Amino acid sequence: MKIRNLSTLLVSAGLILGLATSASAADDGDKILHLGWGADIQTMDVHKTTDNYAVPLSIFDRLLEVQLNDDGSTELVNSIAKDYEISDDGLTYSFTLRDDVYFSDGTQLTAEDVEATFTRMFTLEDSVQTDFTTCIKGAQAILDGETDTLEGVHVTDDLHFEITLEEPFAGFLSVLATPTCCIMSKANLEEAGDDFGQVPEKTIGSGPYMVTEWIRNDSLTLVRNPKYWGEPASAAEVHYKVYPEAASLNMAFQNGDVDILDCEFLDTAIVESVYETAYADQMVNVNRLGTYYLSLNMGVEPMTDVKVRKAMQMAIDRQSILDSIFGGNGVLVDGIYPAGAIGFSEDNQGWLQYDPEGAKALLAEAGYPDGFDVELSVDSGSSQNRQNIYQIVQQNLQDVGINANIVNYDKSSWLAKRTSGEIPIYTSTWTLDYNDPSNIIDVFFSSAEGSKIRSINYQDQEIMTRVADAKKILDENERLAEYAALEKKIVEEDASWVPLFCLQHKFVVSDKIEKFVPHWAGYGDFNCANVVMK
Amino acid sequence: MKIVLKRLLSMIPVLLGVILLTFILLRVVPGNPVSILLGEHYNQETIERLTSYMNLDKSVLEQFLSYAAGILRGDLGVSYVMKKPVTDLIFQAFPYTVKLALLSAAIAWFIGLGAGIVAALKQNKLADHLFMGFSLAGVSVPIFMTALFLQYVFAFRIKVFPLSSDGSLISLVLPAIALGWNSAGSIARMTRSSLVDVMQADYIDTAKAKGVRHSAVIFGHALKNSLLPVITMMAMQLASMMSGAVITESIFSIPGIGRLATQAVQNRDMPLLQGTILFTTIIVIFGNLIADVLYGIIDPRIRRAV
Repeated sequence: MKIRNLSTLLVSAGLILGLATSASAADDGDKILHLGWGADIQTMDVHKTTDNYAVPLSIFDRLLEVQLNDDGSTELVNSIAKDYEISDDGLTYSFTLRDDVYFSDGTQLTAEDVEATFTRMFTLEDSVQTDFTTCIKGAQAILDGETDTLEGVHVTDDLHFEITLEEPFAGFLSVLATPTCCIMSKANLEEAGDDFGQVPEKTIGSGPYMVTEWIRNDSLTLVRNPKYWGEPASAAEVHYKVYPEAASLNMAFQNGDVDILDCEFLDTAIVESVYETAYADQMVNVNRLGTYYLSLNMGVEPMTDVKVRKAMQMAIDRQSILDSIFGGNGVLVDGIYPAGAIGFSEDNQGWLQYDPEGAKALLAEAGYPDGFDVELSVDSGSSQNRQNIYQIVQQNLQDVGINANIVNYDKSSWLAKRTSGEIPIYTSTWTLDYNDPSNIIDVFFSSAEGSKIRSINYQDQEIMTRVADAKKILDENERLAEYAALEKKIVEEDASWVPLFCLQHKFVVSDKIEKFVPHWAGYGDFNCANVVMK
Repeated sequence: MKIVLKRLLSMIPVLLGVILLTFILLRVVPGNPVSILLGEHYNQETIERLTSYMNLDKSVLEQFLSYAAGILRGDLGVSYVMKKPVTDLIFQAFPYTVKLALLSAAIAWFIGLGAGIVAALKQNKLADHLFMGFSLAGVSVPIFMTALFLQYVFAFRIKVFPLSSDGSLISLVLPAIALGWNSAGSIARMTRSSLVDVMQADYIDTAKAKGVRHSAVIFGHALKNSLLPVITMMAMQLASMMSGAVITESIFSIPGIGRLATQAVQNRDMPLLQGTILFTTIIVIFGNLIADVLYGIIDPRIRRAV
């Protein structure tokens, strides 16, 4: 009895202290969304990061947005671009901006800001977003140091501008909807300098939220942007908190300290045993538009022989990898494009079957009846799940006589080895930035150099030229047919990688959440305006 | 005063050694930090541009000279990944570490000294066994076990304390106990053995024979003499706590120096890694210095010997 009294006392003391410390700036009745991160972001400046998208998605606007519908389909919708026209040659895009878009500091968003944003993407010395936007005319000239002005963006007046491309690119509108193309304020960029993306009050956007506080490695706070042109977001404030330990994040969610739990931070076993059962009604699943693959370096003996590569494709038991490591949460794919993405072709599915006996026969035919030695190069900084894939791959290869040694590298060394084109076999995944086949096939198979730095070393120059040219085809059906043909050639005929699977991204939401729409490509990051609270 | 000055001067070669060694080690290991920065999104153009932007295409000697020149100006460079001056990052993280370290040290000293003294005076009695068992657990149970256990019981099952740090004092209690218990264990064991030794010395018998009160014998004579090694240990422990407690900081989400250093390692963030190593070296050197000075204050023989 006494002990119970004591613990009640302690609990109430704790509650009082807890309340005293967590008193918030929000008014009564205002909803606060609590989110947990496994690791802190490094910057809020989207030109300097290729993965810290959570804050930019919530505090900036893009010209267009991709909307994820309830049935899982996606569509491109206008955002701060009110309207646009594309010239017949597919080169010039004429935009009209909405006239009611204001940055959170009260200044209007104009075509000048759009121009400044795109120019900065290429003039900023440490910009890392020079990948798929270099299709804009004159971008390459800036990167080559020839000029400081971006020829391809032309401001007509405050609300009108044109973007001209180097060559036609059917996926360009989708590119404009990526986090890469968040529109920044010219005045803010000039005034803030290096503080942009680092200091909350110097990082001004026009999106549904504005950032008010960021304590590095600890927490970040978003507050509704009173100047926002669209429907105000449901939560008045968003509090991010960093939980470096998965166990702490898990407990924090169950304690009610976190409202949306990203299952990717947790062990698959915990997700299955705890969340898939007790929280089954609160799970939100979205397809991750990313393909897992096992690379087969075509420049490393004996994988130079297509028969050997075909044998290796047949040797891998993909379904058992998917089932035992990822709890079966995904689908096998047999090509390059992720399931559900534009370009995904049903006709190119179903040809690859697990067949160890057939693999052995092919190996013998290729002159390796006793197999060979090969290295599986593991990035020890990658997720545990990904590292576990190598264990099964090693066993599968062993079963057909191939002696695979697992060698661990730290992330930086692993990347260096991959960039030099020397990793024989590795597994990784590529998630779409924009919904277009070019976003994935171009990365691996459009140039000898690009293929080398992914340690694939694809050899067929003619095919690579066709890959690079496919995005210029303006007729949608013709273009997709070409992409499907290229996929068939590269994966089925040339066996240049073992296509594995596409996964689902799982989230668990608390009972305070009415509706949560994740990012269309299944990122862990999302625009907080897509969360509706009860 | 002279000793302090001498010790301060002798810090210089140590610091130089540390700077040079970390610099060279970080350049010898393979891998390009640029690739970490880019993750999956890299192409040859970006790699080359960033390598040159980060001066990684210069010779190691050139890189070192510009780094060394920066240090003299108090500039430790800008973190590759966090895009912020290293000194800013360190001085933002340090207060969190200091708060945690001071609280843990207070707990460790209070419990450690108390338990050690009681155990020594009640040698081989129940209290002794009890306290020593408790301290053995403190020394041998890894911190992450203690931390997760405390968090699970007192923040998850019985919600007395917050699960993770929110900057308030109450949220630091669990991490401080987790971190402090380990140190308390070693302090208790050392206090006990040292005090037991001293209690057998002749001058204690003399004092007792002269009829000095029991408490005066213990606190006036025995304890004063037995605490010397304990103080060294306490100073060293405090210094090591000040240089960051990676595991405790991670479990309780405290944005301290330990976390900063681990991230620097993971990201191959050379300026940040060099900066945190340099900073913690200075902390440890000062910890030693303070221990030595305290030694001199407590024990006049040492002062005279120097």
